[in-house]
Amino acid sequence: MVRLDNIGKSYGAGADVLHDISLTLEAGDFCCVTGASGAGKTTLLNIVALAEQPSYGRLTLFGADALAADRDTRAALRRRIGIVFQDLRLLAHLGIRDNIALPLRIAGIPEDKIRDHVDELATWLGIASQLESSPQTLSAGERQRVAIARAIVSRPDLLIADEPTAGRDDETALSLLRAFERLHSLGTTVLIATDNIALARRLECRHFHLEEGWLTSLDTAAIQ
Amino acid sequence: MRGQTPSRVHLDRVLAADPAGALLWGMVALMGYFAAIGGIVLVLLSDDIGEWDRALGHSLTVQIPAEASAVRVETSLALLRQTAGIRAVRLLEAAETARLLEPWLGPPAAITTLPVPRLVDVQIDPDAAIDFADLRQKLSSIVPGAEIDDHREWRDTSRSAESRVASLLEVAIAAIAGLLVVFAVYLTRGRLAVQGETIELLHQIGAADADVAWPFQADALRRGLLGGGIGAAAALVSLVAVVGILPRHATTASSGFTDWRLWGVAIAVTLAAGLVAITVARITVLRRLALMP
Repeated sequence: MVRLDNIGKSYGAGADVLHDISLTLEAGDFCCVTGASGAGKTTLLNIVALAEQPSYGRLTLFGADALAADRDTRAALRRRIGIVFQDLRLLAHLGIRDNIALPLRIAGIPEDKIRDHVDELATWLGIASQLESSPQTLSAGERQRVAIARAIVSRPDLLIADEPTAGRDDETALSLLRAFERLHSLGTTVLIATDNIALARRLECRHFHLEEGWLTSLDTAAIQ
Repeated sequence: MRGQTPSRVHLDRVLAADPAGALLWGMVALMGYFAAIGGIVLVLLSDDIGEWDRALGHSLTVQIPAEASAVRVETSLALLRQTAGIRAVRLLEAAETARLLEPWLGPPAAITTLPVPRLVDVQIDPDAAIDFADLRQKLSSIVPGAEIDDHREWRDTSRSAESRVASLLEVAIAAIAGLLVVFAVYLTRGRLAVQGETIELLHQIGAADADVAWPFQADALRRGLLGGGIGAAAALVSLVAVVGILPRHATTASSGFTDWRLWGVAIAVTLAAGLVAITVARITVLRRLALMP
């Protein structure tokens, strides 16, 4: 489903942020990328999410050569990926319903289906009563659930979450990660980056560890 | 839930309201006004010059020296009447000549003391190839000093003036169009800056470039057409009002709102404003999106 071959990234003439990363995610995988702040986790996730171009290497997404694809194809590949951004990126001028519905609108889903689907998902995530509110009126936890709802509303083939536990106490963070586990159990391939290594080890997932841009520790199943 | 790669995704409601949007159609209206004024003046000027040119092309004036005898005058008139291509010949009365010359020579009474040449108004067939050199020679043999004024110098001067004015107006219209492009680019960039967060998010979650650009294009087209239409309509009203207060013979443009060409200019300005606005918006947004991976 996702295959990185010798991916590296540097900014300008600076040192490499990522060095020669090779790994494969199969459909149905649940993977955690751990590493300290600045280790390159966000850059790695951005490359997989087609938000950044690697400096070298090859990226295969859903069987397509993502780096050689034209812009429309890359947009189509992005539509198969759900992302929970570290800063959530909820649009303040839209209500919660419209924030969650964004990927469906982009996919051209009819409005009546969008409404039904958003209602159903919001109920599942416990934010149904907030659908007509604006993001500013929600608590941090509620906003995070809205961001998760937006990421999974289109039933993506791959769900990516960048530091979803940042700023959370361990109990809240673990419950969030359990939510991702539930999504995974429903068949979604999940890729999470977190700097909370201890927490990540409590999950039943494949672990990758980044240290200063090097993939220093990973389970053998992921090695090419 | 897999999207079916829709032909057109409507993301208009996703973009925040743009407080600077009213500025676009306001400025387009102003520019449309001046562009339409220029276009309409071009049409009217061309009409007036064309009318003068046609009128002058149908006639010429023969000057016969004041001291010429009545017999020579009559012989000259007979020559003119017999010349192929000449339709009518009329010797102006002294009083009529005096009235024509009054602006330069003063009251008619004063003119009677001057050796004013006799003027002959000659109506010609504009399509006829009259040999003026031969006619001049024959007239001179009858009345030495007789002259033929075929208005060529005036017609050349007026054509040259029209050409210069038309060029100036065309440059002015082109400059207005250029200003509109620059203005639309900056306004679209400003709007992109305001919507930057939204655009990046849409791009990141899979919106195609064309779908992101479309709301900007549609908005620019709407405002461009509105502004251009208002400006062109205002120009039309202004011109018709100005023509209405001019003396009756100051211009040939008396048809006003019934002249389809003026409506044509107004419609052309409106469509051009919309076209410029939508094109600039599309190019500006797509260039911005091209910076994203």
